Amino acid sequence: MRTFSKRSGAGFMLLGLLIPTLAACGGAPAAGPIKETVVVVQTAAPQVVKETVVVAQTAAPAATSETVVPVAQGEYTTPHPILGDLKVRQAIAYCTNRPELIASVYPFLDETQQTGLLMDTFIPKGHWAAATTGITTYPFDAKKGGALLDEAGWKLATGDTVRANANGDSLSLNFTTTNAQFRQTWSAVFIQQMATCGIQIVPTYAPASWWFGSNTGLARRDYELGAYAWVGEADPKGSTLYSCNQIPLPSNNWEGQNSMGWCNQTASKAINAATNTLDRNERIKQYVIAQQEFTKDMVSLPLFNRAEAAAATNRFEGFKPNSTEYYTANADSWAVKDGDTLVLGFSQEPASMWGTVESSASLRTAAYLISTPGATQYNYDYQPVAQKAPFPTIESGAAKNEDVEVKADDMVWTTAGDAAALTKGVEVTTADGSTVKYDSGTLKMKRLTVTYGFIDGLKWQDNTPMVKADYQLAYKIDCDPASGTVSLITCKSFGNVNFTSDSAYTITYLPGVQTPTYYLAPIGAYPAHQVIKSDGNYKGKTLADVPAKDWSTLPEIAEIPMGNGPYILEKWEKGQSMTFTANPNYYKGAPKVKKIIIKFISDTNQAVAQLLTGDIDALGPETLGAGAEVKSVLDAAKKGSIQAFTIASPSWEHIDFNMFVK
Amino acid sequence: MAAFLVRRLLQMFLVTIVAAICSYGLLYISPGGPVDQLLGEHQNSGRNRISPADILRIKQRFELDINLPIRFSRWLTGWPSGPLFGSVGTDWPVGCAIPGQVRLRYPDGRVETVEEGCQQAVTLGDLVGRKSSRGVFFGDFGVSQVILRDRPVIDLIGTRLPYTLYLMGGSITLALLIAVPIGVYSAVKQYSRFDYTMTTIAFIGSSLPSFVFGIFAILIFSILAKQAGLPFLPSGDAVGTRDYIIPVLGSIQAGSLFDRFLRFLMPCGVLTFISLAGWSRFVRGSMLEVLSQDYVRTARAKGVKERTVILKHALRNSLIPFVTLLAGVLASLFGGALVTESVFNWPGLGRLYIDALSRSDYNVANALLLINVVLLLIGILITDILYTVVDPRIRLG
Repeated sequence: MRTFSKRSGAGFMLLGLLIPTLAACGGAPAAGPIKETVVVVQTAAPQVVKETVVVAQTAAPAATSETVVPVAQGEYTTPHPILGDLKVRQAIAYCTNRPELIASVYPFLDETQQTGLLMDTFIPKGHWAAATTGITTYPFDAKKGGALLDEAGWKLATGDTVRANANGDSLSLNFTTTNAQFRQTWSAVFIQQMATCGIQIVPTYAPASWWFGSNTGLARRDYELGAYAWVGEADPKGSTLYSCNQIPLPSNNWEGQNSMGWCNQTASKAINAATNTLDRNERIKQYVIAQQEFTKDMVSLPLFNRAEAAAATNRFEGFKPNSTEYYTANADSWAVKDGDTLVLGFSQEPASMWGTVESSASLRTAAYLISTPGATQYNYDYQPVAQKAPFPTIESGAAKNEDVEVKADDMVWTTAGDAAALTKGVEVTTADGSTVKYDSGTLKMKRLTVTYGFIDGLKWQDNTPMVKADYQLAYKIDCDPASGTVSLITCKSFGNVNFTSDSAYTITYLPGVQTPTYYLAPIGAYPAHQVIKSDGNYKGKTLADVPAKDWSTLPEIAEIPMGNGPYILEKWEKGQSMTFTANPNYYKGAPKVKKIIIKFISDTNQAVAQLLTGDIDALGPETLGAGAEVKSVLDAAKKGSIQAFTIASPSWEHIDFNMFVK
Repeated sequence: MAAFLVRRLLQMFLVTIVAAICSYGLLYISPGGPVDQLLGEHQNSGRNRISPADILRIKQRFELDINLPIRFSRWLTGWPSGPLFGSVGTDWPVGCAIPGQVRLRYPDGRVETVEEGCQQAVTLGDLVGRKSSRGVFFGDFGVSQVILRDRPVIDLIGTRLPYTLYLMGGSITLALLIAVPIGVYSAVKQYSRFDYTMTTIAFIGSSLPSFVFGIFAILIFSILAKQAGLPFLPSGDAVGTRDYIIPVLGSIQAGSLFDRFLRFLMPCGVLTFISLAGWSRFVRGSMLEVLSQDYVRTARAKGVKERTVILKHALRNSLIPFVTLLAGVLASLFGGALVTESVFNWPGLGRLYIDALSRSDYNVANALLLINVVLLLIGILITDILYTVVDPRIRLG
């Protein structure tokens, strides 16, 4: 009997533990204690909070309900007592010895390579939009930093190690970043450097899930100094990061990524102009202005590009890793000194070979072997491949950007970046570049029409030429939500698509769409004629007959797709390897290397071991990274046994200054 | 015995359910996941921007818009897949597609927008037509969400299982065959040079993590051996992708039996060494205890041969506690070795599990967890039954 009661006791305890856990996991989030202080609750539809506020009176504390006095001051509107001062921010920049930070994480690089990683603005060096003149630089100068702090009123008393102001407050700042070993390493050096200048840094190494969480850390501006990375792209974008209307605040439901709270009208105007014009020269001009203001105000201290390494055996010719393009993009020009096979090591296996549902680097790298991309993306810029050169830009005459009149209920592209019918209250950008809320009547907006042309001679691997139906099929499937595609934003921006020939189509975008990379063909192609051979409902039919919902499970799409690239995917052994053979029908002729094998090796040590023993021929930057293994690769390259490359990754580390307090 | 079995099977069933609830719940409440990844891109401008509607579809695909208990029930039993009895409860909410937002206005003028309540609920009626498994209870683990997108989890496990079985089977058998004699010999020759050597090796084996052995083995037997021009072992994988030449042994054809054997040696060696270290210590300890028993002394006093005393009288009795240790063998046979498989790039279930966790493939991770729980329970049951075989004094019931 005693045993029985003990058991039931344990059972109840277990249930007691489980039920609250499950209750906490399921259901809608419970209202927090904050609700007790609510005076007026305004319910709004998600995402359009500003416009459709419905006021609903709820039971409010009687004592305060009659004495509501709206005050302009909200969270994050009070300047930070330390970081609100430009001199302090600049002093921190001068006190930071960035080459020393780089050396701490990349000791295996020589001095020139280390200097090559330095960043001065938010656009990486060598980028077409990077400013070279007029920007303020902050070379390491602790004396200058100290003098600026003295000027700002933060003095170092004799015998003290931390500066203090006249009120006796010490110059102490919280520094938040992720707990990644890499960041802990360079930040330990940063903390030392700040200490030399009399600034005390209190570090918090938080889990990435908190720091980058959707409603924690960075997204809630919960930091003073915050370090993380951005990824540089061929199109620099930047409007959500640095314009005045992108400051996340409690009142706008934390929309935007300008978590520093930086609002410089000149910069804001420039960055918006740069992201809203299609003229590259104008864009460069505006980006330069934005960068000049950015460095002058020192709101975010750019540190360095991360380094990445890639390596290949000596028998591999034509291995060309690049910062912004996958190394398989030039697979058609590879050669091998002996034998006819190359083996590539991948750290991750693609989930599917279908690019519509999968966007990982592993898929893109593998997909280049079997497809001819519209354009490549070397060195932060675009180069046409399957697309006809030159790109269909306004200057080339293949695109036009005309003013059109729009009226109520016309489909337009909103300022928020979505398609919507023009109704009262919808915010759009007019032809003259101003942002207006639609009320009634007509508006003039910019409408972009682009004709995308493709080179002649493109053929599928079975020697069938590419035709209009192939592009039509891609449009039909990729723009169908049932396909499982991650984002439909591009499809939504189309007003009208007209497939004019077997190698061209014209897209008339919705009025208001002003994508700077409009000249890149947004619709690909699928072999509409391909007959389904795998068992199932569609055996014997053609690819064009399969509805979008079943594409992700169709072996002809997800596993062994037909392509038009230099290689044909022959076999995919899950968890182990993929085998590709040269495509005799490739438009440039069959490539020299007859066979390429991709091997999946999740452990970097193992991958390096296989490279050193000659089991594999190449490791791209996405597999090799910049960890401890890189040293053994570089050592081996010094001895001449392999070829190794260190490249500046598009990811760059920086420290943001939160200029306001909660 | 029959009553015992019925009771144990019932208990096993309950434990499996509780374990399933725990593992399923913990996996989902851990931070990160597909939506958080997407939300990171939510505000990016340009062609790859993610809209709220996109997030909604992703949530639907991973069933993240359904409340956890309902999601669990669908995973376990495939129920509910729509309204009950045809039409009952069509509008019963079972989850939330779009969380509600309220704006809080504080007396001091501060304004805050928070998520509260539900703007658009998911009802039982909405579940009709959604892809769902028939339920784990009916042998359907659903489809892989990331690793082998939209294709059955069981297919994925099927491709990896043979590799895990032969790696783990080989290493466990080897470890058993070597550990027991070493343990017995160490106990019989206690404090001898052999015993001290084995004790030292066992301590090294049980105190160092498996990846250290793995990396050292790769360094010594693959890289350094190759650089020195000696016969070397391939550093990883279960099967080669192209032919290679090993000094002395000559050209090895990729995919041949010999190629597979060479690749099997290192991971198997490391796993064997680690199990060996622990097990030989266990056998030694239990053997020493038995050797000091009165009946062993009596047997020796009667003049029974030392060999018979050790093998017949002592060994058999000392193995009773050792049987307990073997309860986990079944589970580890199928579960694979998480770290060792990753280090040697062995395409087994252990590596698959790590992959599933790091890439938020909930269905795959849950399937592997559940299979392991069930196998562990079966292992324990078999152990209990084995007790009656090795020790006639034990009666079940």
